Amino acid sequence: MSATYLAAASVEEAVNALKGGARCVAGGTDIVVGHRQGKKPLPASIVAIHGIDALRGIAAAGAGLRLGALATHEEIESHAVVRERFTGLADASAIVGSRATRANGTIGGNVMNASPAMDTGAPLICLGATAVFQGPGGTRSIAVEDLFAGPGQTVASADELLIAVDLPAPALGTGSAYVRLEYRRQMEIAIVGVGAAVTIEGGKVTAARVAITALAPTIHRVVAAEAALVGTDGGRDAAAAAAAAAAAGSAPISDVRGSADYRRAMAAVMARRAIETAVARALGGQVSIPASTSTFAAV
Amino acid sequence: MAAVESKQAQQVFIRPDGKEKVTGVGRYTADLNLTGQVHAKFRYADHTHARITRIDASKARALAGVFAVLTHADVPEVRYGGMVQDRLMFAKDAVRFEGDIIAGVAALTPEIAAQAAALVEVDYEPLPAITDYESAMAPGAQLIHSDWESYGAEDMGRDGNVLGHSTVIRGDADAAMATADAVVSGRYVADASQGAPIEPRAIIAQWQGDKVTVWTSTQVPFAARTGVATVLELPESHVRVVVPLLGGGFGSKCDFHFEGHVAALARAARRPVKLVFSRHEEFIAPDHRREGMAVELETGVRKDGTIVARRARLVIDGGAYCGEGGFFAQMAAMHAIGPYQMENVSIDSYLVYSNNQPSSSIRAPTAPQACWAVEQHMDEVAAAIGMDPVELRRRTLIERGKASATGQIMDEIGIRETLEAAAEMIGYGQDLPDDEAIGVACGWWPSFGVNSGAYVKLNGDGSGTIITGAMESGTGAVMGLPILAAEVLGMKPEDFSILYQDTDAGPWDMGSSGSQTTFNNGRAVICAATEVREQLLDMAEKELEASRGDLEIADGVVRVIGSPDKSISIADLAGSGTPLLGKGSGDVPEAGPSDIASHCIGDLGLTAFLAPQLITHAAHVKVDRDTGVVRVLRFAAAHDSGKIVNRIGADGQVYGGVMMGIGQALTEGTTFDSEGRQINPHLLDYKLMTASDGPEIMIHWEEVVTPNAGPKGSKGVGEPPSVPTSGAVGNAIAAVIGRHVNQLPMTAERVWATSQENGQ
Ligand SMILES: Cc1cc2nc3c(=O)[nH]c(=O)nc-3n(C[C@H](O)[C@H](O)[C@H](O)COP(=O)(O)OP(=O)(O)OC[C@H]3O[C@@H](n4cnc5c(N)ncnc54)[C@H](O)[C@@H]3O)c2cc1C
Repeated sequence: MSATYLAAASVEEAVNALKGGARCVAGGTDIVVGHRQGKKPLPASIVAIHGIDALRGIAAAGAGLRLGALATHEEIESHAVVRERFTGLADASAIVGSRATRANGTIGGNVMNASPAMDTGAPLICLGATAVFQGPGGTRSIAVEDLFAGPGQTVASADELLIAVDLPAPALGTGSAYVRLEYRRQMEIAIVGVGAAVTIEGGKVTAARVAITALAPTIHRVVAAEAALVGTDGGRDAAAAAAAAAAAGSAPISDVRGSADYRRAMAAVMARRAIETAVARALGGQVSIPASTSTFAAV
Repeated sequence: MAAVESKQAQQVFIRPDGKEKVTGVGRYTADLNLTGQVHAKFRYADHTHARITRIDASKARALAGVFAVLTHADVPEVRYGGMVQDRLMFAKDAVRFEGDIIAGVAALTPEIAAQAAALVEVDYEPLPAITDYESAMAPGAQLIHSDWESYGAEDMGRDGNVLGHSTVIRGDADAAMATADAVVSGRYVADASQGAPIEPRAIIAQWQGDKVTVWTSTQVPFAARTGVATVLELPESHVRVVVPLLGGGFGSKCDFHFEGHVAALARAARRPVKLVFSRHEEFIAPDHRREGMAVELETGVRKDGTIVARRARLVIDGGAYCGEGGFFAQMAAMHAIGPYQMENVSIDSYLVYSNNQPSSSIRAPTAPQACWAVEQHMDEVAAAIGMDPVELRRRTLIERGKASATGQIMDEIGIRETLEAAAEMIGYGQDLPDDEAIGVACGWWPSFGVNSGAYVKLNGDGSGTIITGAMESGTGAVMGLPILAAEVLGMKPEDFSILYQDTDAGPWDMGSSGSQTTFNNGRAVICAATEVREQLLDMAEKELEASRGDLEIADGVVRVIGSPDKSISIADLAGSGTPLLGKGSGDVPEAGPSDIASHCIGDLGLTAFLAPQLITHAAHVKVDRDTGVVRVLRFAAAHDSGKIVNRIGADGQVYGGVMMGIGQALTEGTTFDSEGRQINPHLLDYKLMTASDGPEIMIHWEEVVTPNAGPKGSKGVGEPPSVPTSGAVGNAIAAVIGRHVNQLPMTAERVWATSQENGQ
């Protein structure tokens, strides 16, 4: 196949190109930068999707919200409804890279790049988000929870275009948060990250989700941590127990960013901070966005 | 303490290159393109230590689009290097680190060049790689340079893998140690860090006949010219080096590196050749690195704070080649004593070869690491006698007129004043939350007196031009030269243009290194301007029929004092056709003597510091105890750099230097794998501080007008701002977690692990 570049004007045109073997580029902050760093060569055939208006924007969808695949991190973190009701996602989008990265990087690219260290995955899983695809045979939805197949891999097929991410309305009394370990204040990559969503009714936790980032080949939920929260008052002891479970559910590696022991210990710290923040928000408390900054040095 | 000057009172001079850099109009080397140019790529070593048994470039040469492939067989066999001639342009018999170059390719596109470079066939016999540099000194260790004895070198105590050995010995440390009330010892290990300028280097070479012009991103154009002439066996007059705007260097672009390779490729290709480094290549380039260092310290102290003796042993990782860094052993030894009074010292300092990247003069080489070790150690000494660490320094820093630990009499120095100023600015002693603390550290750094030259000429429109050999690496030092010329000539700094960074134009200069530009080239510019001033006065004497004593130069005119109507403008004098051109160099100042140089091993003249720059830094940090992440909240920097000639430029050096120092303190560390390959040669995992990480930085200049120094009693400015930074941050961290982190950088994990050990 010869090298081609197509700036698609419609979803159909893009899907057609994908079917013909092209790979898509949205903001290019993963795929182009990765190529320049020598991680992975650019695909021979490229379909650029940045001009497809149908993929833009954030809109109400029933009681929930639909994020177009091209919604940028900047749009997401500054969106009033996201900040109010899907706060954990705002926590994540607000800390992606730098201001320039957030202005160019899209939710679609973040999800489909499927890095185990990417930031929006954990909160999307905790908030029960689904990814909506259009392929040659029509559309289908996959829960984000079930999407990641391994580092850089999803269960979607190569000719499917992600068109949107749907966020269902959270139950009343739900709070969410995402917290990541940051060695410096900007331009970080998750070394350890934890997302949490907690629903509290009548002083008791009725539902909880906890998902961990950069602690396994894929971002995933830790059911034991969730179980440690449900039925409790969501207080310090419950958060600590759930955090310990989250750490136990991690399978960290040792590398230049940190040893496995340190990462496991930090999994518990980040989990406790994420859970406590989610609980505080569920109870109507204000913990400012991003939670990674506002929980720095929290004891 | 002198009050900090208000902003309005500071001299504000907008640097002439500022606008083009900020607006993107400025042109850096990589922005240049020449008609017909082809592109260079290197083939790097496949092992970090191996004998080469065969090199075959025929497949690379046969690839379509390839113009030239060069190996050692195609260039003169010339060993070169600043202090030890231990390098070849292209590896011949051996490779010694991952950045050794086997071959260079010039091809139609960078992609073809890369393809061809990969086609060069090389056979090796791998040798054991030494990456743990302390083990390089072990008896029987694999030699990095089996031919080391045959190399040309300065006399610096070389022996096998030991590249340099230096001692600083005064008094009787053993006997004195026995009289101490407390003896404190510690071991501190600093990882390597990187210069990491934002501009990866770029070079273009073009031949015209038997002369070559090289446009290059170097900090040292004249050394680059000498280097090209040496390795290609050309007269220096056949080589012209031009530096377009330089995107930073921090010492990593000092010394001669790749200009010879590109010039040789251009000659073979019969085309202009352009080389642009990737970030990865920039990271693994020789001399891009600040050396790793292991420091063992022992200090005997009396209850009143008197330091009775200091013993130290330092091992410094020089990497695979020496370059100009051969003075590191002695320089580090000087930082192991620091700006303190002590009668008895015994320091042993070793610079060793390893199979790691060669290290060189990154901003104040050896000082930040050694100072970090010593200053943390000083806080431990204070704790051992139950004394406040600032009080210990108050009692032990060198007093004006007293001797340093090497017996140099320190006439005009303001180190004690910098301590008080920093403590006051940071609010030392205030109550803080229990996860916050303040740390203080002191340090020193010499000024370097070297020859340097400049011409100043006046133009028919009344403007002036400074033609200088000095190099502007971004510090603003060259941009500040008009301030000095203008003052001599009664003109405004804005009246001057600068012709610089072209070896065919300006006189020789050492380049942007050693904080020396204002110190030496400033002197040269003042001399040259003074010569022109005399020429102006000669002419005006005749034109105005006045005697010299009655003339003054001000506001662009020469006039008779007291008769404002009797005047003639500089423009009229310069436009008359008589050239107004001054040249200057000036007398190079020298350091006063130490009393020990004669009996030190490996003496390279550093036991006394010329016009020492003195520094106290104070850091206010917050530690996230659960994670070990440290944020610097506020920072105070008090410096004695003598008289400050350009305040806005000097402040800029402190802001940048402190940020660099904080990075080295907390996040900037190079990690090598077991064979000496960098694991994090990129900006994702080599973590520079970002603008968001910048604390409030308060600055105080203790303007001690210094005799035997630079223009107007100034000293250097550029390197000291990152010398005691990591020590101050380290002491602040220890004050929170109860124990010093003995590895640099003090990463979150190391801070966390240290506080776990301490049971916090
Ligand atoms: C300096 C810097 C800092 C960064 N920091 C962070 C960070 O802190 N956290 C973080 O999570 N990420 C970070 N990133 C990574 C990146 O910015 C984000 O993942 C971003 O959201 C990617 O979006 P994009 O539109 O640029 O993706 P692209 O690079 O355009 O695409 C990424 C991948 O997704 C595929 N893709 C894109 N859109 C679609 C679609 N609609 N359907 C199917 N496949 C699609 C592409 O084919 C490609 O494989 C950083 C990147 C940089 C350069």
